[in-house]
Amino acid sequence: MKPKPDFLAILQTLAKHQVDFIVVGGVGAVLQGAPISTFDLDVVHSRTGENVDRLLAALEALDAHYRTTGTREIAPGESHLSSSGHLLLTTRFGPLDLLGAIGQGRGHGELLGRTVKMKVGAGLSVRVLDLATIIKVKEEAGKEKDRAALAVLRRTLEEKSKS
Amino acid sequence: MTQIPKDQPLREDEPSHSEDGVDLTLIRWMLSLTPAERLEVLENNVRSILRLRGEAEA
Repeated sequence: MKPKPDFLAILQTLAKHQVDFIVVGGVGAVLQGAPISTFDLDVVHSRTGENVDRLLAALEALDAHYRTTGTREIAPGESHLSSSGHLLLTTRFGPLDLLGAIGQGRGHGELLGRTVKMKVGAGLSVRVLDLATIIKVKEEAGKEKDRAALAVLRRTLEEKSKS
Repeated sequence: MTQIPKDQPLREDEPSHSEDGVDLTLIRWMLSLTPAERLEVLENNVRSILRLRGEAEA
């Protein structure tokens, strides 16, 4: 049996360890009102040395390791978290994707100005990539799997602008 | 727990679907929720799907 996805618990753990991160992807879109579904939490993390240390502590608390088909559980290391690559992990609260950069190499520092702060639980606020930028990043990626979601995201942005 | 959307009266001046087939009533309902409630909706949806597939712990 796999763990029940609990995105809030993952976010709480990252916040508890004072990790600097931005929620992106499907969960970021849902938080801004898009009626879509996703099975993993995507975040872009700051790759400064201090933040990577905090992130390593958070990942240990989450019992995070790579999503692999083998029986060996491999935890990400400092060098992995310092790269711009995408680390696809599983945690005791479900899947977590740590993204060093997204789209055309946009990292945490570049994206920070395009975020909104949202309250997602008692005493917990997180930075979320704004919906317009989530759409732009998905358009840049040009993946077939995003085609249906993009239509919903664009209409959500339109409806948001009316309210 | 966040409630499942109830049938909301459609306003005549607001279409229920966009030209490209997107259900606008669901978007409007999601926008009426707080971010925390939207996250709860997502988690409930994912758990329901995983339960149907027999993949999640009870």
